[in-house]
Amino acid sequence: MEGRGDGEWGGGASLTERRGGRGRGGSAGALGSPRRTAAMEQAPPDPERQLQPAPLEPLGRSDAGLGVAVDEEAEGAREEGSGGDTMTHNNFWLKKIEISVSEAEKRTGRNAMNMQETYTAYLIETRSVEHTDGQSVLTDSLWRRYSEFELLRNYLLVYYPHIVVPPLPEKRAEFVWHKLSADNMDPDFVERRRIGLENFLLRIASHPILCRDKIFYLFLTQEGNWKETVNETGFQLKADSRLKALNATFRVKNPDKRFTDLKHYSDELQSVISHLLRVRARVADRLYGVYKVHGNYGRVFSEWSAIEKEMGDGLQSAGHHMDVYASSIDDILEDEEHYADQLKEYLFYAEALRAVCRKHELMQYDLEIAAQDLASKKQQCEELATGTVRTFSLKGMTTKLFGQETPEQREARIKVLEEQINEGEQQLKSKNLEGREFVKNAWADIERFKEQKNRDLKEALISYAVMQISMCKKGIQVWTNAKECFSKM
Amino acid sequence: MAGGPPKALPSTGPHSLRDMPHPLAGSSSEEAVGGDSTPSPDLLMARSFGDKDLILPNGGTPAGTSSPASSSSLLNRLQLDDDIDGETRDLFVVVDDPKKHVCTMETYITYRITTKSTRVEFDLPEYSVRRRYQDFDWLRSKLEESQPTHLIPPLPEKFVVKGVVDRFSEEFVETRRKALDKFLKRITDHPVLSFNEYFNIFLTAKDLNIYKKQGIALLTRMGESVKHVTGGYKLRTRPLEFAAIGDYLDTFALKLGTIDRIAQRIIKEEIEYLVELREYGPVYSTWSTLEGELAEPLEGVSACIGNCSTALEELTDDMTEDFLPVLREYILYSDSMKSVLKKRDQVQAEYEAKLEAVALRKEDRPKVPADVEKCQDRMECFNADLKADMERWQNNKRQDFRQLLMGMADKNIQYYEKCLMAWESIIPLLQEKQEAKFPVTAVLS
Repeated sequence: MEGRGDGEWGGGASLTERRGGRGRGGSAGALGSPRRTAAMEQAPPDPERQLQPAPLEPLGRSDAGLGVAVDEEAEGAREEGSGGDTMTHNNFWLKKIEISVSEAEKRTGRNAMNMQETYTAYLIETRSVEHTDGQSVLTDSLWRRYSEFELLRNYLLVYYPHIVVPPLPEKRAEFVWHKLSADNMDPDFVERRRIGLENFLLRIASHPILCRDKIFYLFLTQEGNWKETVNETGFQLKADSRLKALNATFRVKNPDKRFTDLKHYSDELQSVISHLLRVRARVADRLYGVYKVHGNYGRVFSEWSAIEKEMGDGLQSAGHHMDVYASSIDDILEDEEHYADQLKEYLFYAEALRAVCRKHELMQYDLEIAAQDLASKKQQCEELATGTVRTFSLKGMTTKLFGQETPEQREARIKVLEEQINEGEQQLKSKNLEGREFVKNAWADIERFKEQKNRDLKEALISYAVMQISMCKKGIQVWTNAKECFSKM
Repeated sequence: MAGGPPKALPSTGPHSLRDMPHPLAGSSSEEAVGGDSTPSPDLLMARSFGDKDLILPNGGTPAGTSSPASSSSLLNRLQLDDDIDGETRDLFVVVDDPKKHVCTMETYITYRITTKSTRVEFDLPEYSVRRRYQDFDWLRSKLEESQPTHLIPPLPEKFVVKGVVDRFSEEFVETRRKALDKFLKRITDHPVLSFNEYFNIFLTAKDLNIYKKQGIALLTRMGESVKHVTGGYKLRTRPLEFAAIGDYLDTFALKLGTIDRIAQRIIKEEIEYLVELREYGPVYSTWSTLEGELAEPLEGVSACIGNCSTALEELTDDMTEDFLPVLREYILYSDSMKSVLKKRDQVQAEYEAKLEAVALRKEDRPKVPADVEKCQDRMECFNADLKADMERWQNNKRQDFRQLLMGMADKNIQYYEKCLMAWESIIPLLQEKQEAKFPVTAVLS
């Protein structure tokens, strides 16, 4: 099924359209500023926040729970591939749903080793939107912690190896610049992670295939027992071992060139985005320094104005503008963190791309080994039948050493081999089919991903440019005001 | 000080007029006061001595001045004239055209000094000479010697301490040229200093070395007088107004020092920011080589960041060349002003000590001996000159800082405008093809 009709991409398209009005543009994840600003408004403004230890009170609530409407018509792609546990009932899909990760809360509990630990729990709310009046009704609400998100993702990776599975926000704060805390409990980090987790869920919900997964549905609706349910699927056992995958990567002879190229691309993408994020963090650090030092002008101008007669007023008021300038950097850099998060998402997506390539390599390698095996068995069979020994075999050696085998024995062996060959041929056929299915499906998703990536990153660049423009305009305003004050000196 | 024969009024003008025939000043003492040129105060004083046509009556106290000495009131009037005649100038000096001279022993820079004047002190209407920093230094010390009661403008620093600065780099030479130009202009604008003979020589002499070598003493009477003030006397209390000036200068220098440090720190942070930007931009370029549809947008962002980097570099260069040096000049200025204040203190101290000595002698006739009178005159003259100069200095300082700070604001505005333009220009590039590629799908409902 090639189905590239609108239906297949319906989820994505309608998602974007619905989001357009929210000022976030494209399907650039739930990383826009409006909601974030709303959330931050709840937190008390505290410029020294970064110097204090993380507060131990519950974090602010976001009230603008933006979600995604998942269109039930996005059913074109029913290809399940290796098929996870998909929806058997359609009730879920009759209505549009909105998902939001609206709160984050500190919890303490006992872990597997019965030790006291502190962790953050996130509130996931699902709303269904009635067709008729557009009102949304809260249908489900539950708390999940990061490790459960991880579990969900690992499950999806195993059951949908042909899909570029959306990545999770980073587990630990990386690419920090000095102001940002690397502490997982830091409210800023938790807030950004909340947004990242919501984005993760929205991406899955807008994916034409992943959105149908039952485990995903249960993740949103079944608080207790979900972990057991996931584990019952036995997905961990189905997972390919890392070692096997590594082996395959080295030894595969004929992978599809497109996947090889894609792997190189994802390696380079990962490298370049890492570099970009590292330098950006340093740039942010330096910029912060520049702005903050200007704050010193405020104080000294004030002190100086005290000994001046005519110059005093101008100096004093100019000093005030310098203070404004210095404090403006905090908001500017906070906004820039969104941009960094958008880049990070694609940094992690590179890993997801590589996972698909690895799966292909593994399947291809498997196929090659099976083919090789079959070929050698056929050869053996032939040799036994004709009596010529061209290939080395242990049996052959022992026969030479310890004497020939009887014709009956030889017949038996040939029979066994013929059976094995038959079986092998069947297996090879199915493996081949599997492989081709995989390549087709995977490539389809990769194309979908490429379009998404191009859209999202363009939006990210635009919003970055808009941020820079805003920063420049603010700068011009402040310095023009200061100049006016100086002119009155 | 009433009664008695007219005493010799303290004179701040060149001593030479009366005692030493001077090649340049030769004719001026014969000329009548009047005409276009503002007569030099020394001339007026020389003439007022014993002359019936006084501009101001002896001992008269013009409103607003506390000092009884007519010289001060004269100076005040001249200052007034200075302000009124602000537009009509008769002396213009420009420093430009730096040139490098390579000699066997040394390499140095000379600057062209062009003078245009209708003043009688100048034989020709126009002069053009070449001078090097040493010559400016000579001029300044001569001015300090000969006009000790006045505030002499500062010179840019002689040696460059910080880092390895190329003395012959374009930026350094230009910064210095501007400072030297300012130095001469400040002297030009000063009603007393601009008539100083050393200044005249500096502007006109073909070969300054002759004058330097000969060590011509063109010391003014005041200069001589102050030179001989012994430093042994300690002033008990500074008069309130001078104490206020002293305090002001202390705080002023302190604040300027802080501003200098802040400005330097800002430049340092900006340079470090620039270093990171220069690495940041190219990474987008590298990324664009991996991409297809995103290649142009990424390349655009890279170029944009490059433009911002260039704009930032221009800002830091401007601040280093135009802002910091002026701050430093004013710090030097206030330092030298404090020395003048101290000298004034010495003069007052000597006077008070001598006065006390006289009082203790308990003579029948309370006649004040001549040398004590001389001390008093010296002190009063000093006070008057200093006060007048302080007022002038305050005014100029206000204008200079107004201009300096507005300039700083301007440069920052220009920097942001350049960056704004760069980012605004790539928005269309980034938005391009969005509509074309993006399919408008009907919402399936």
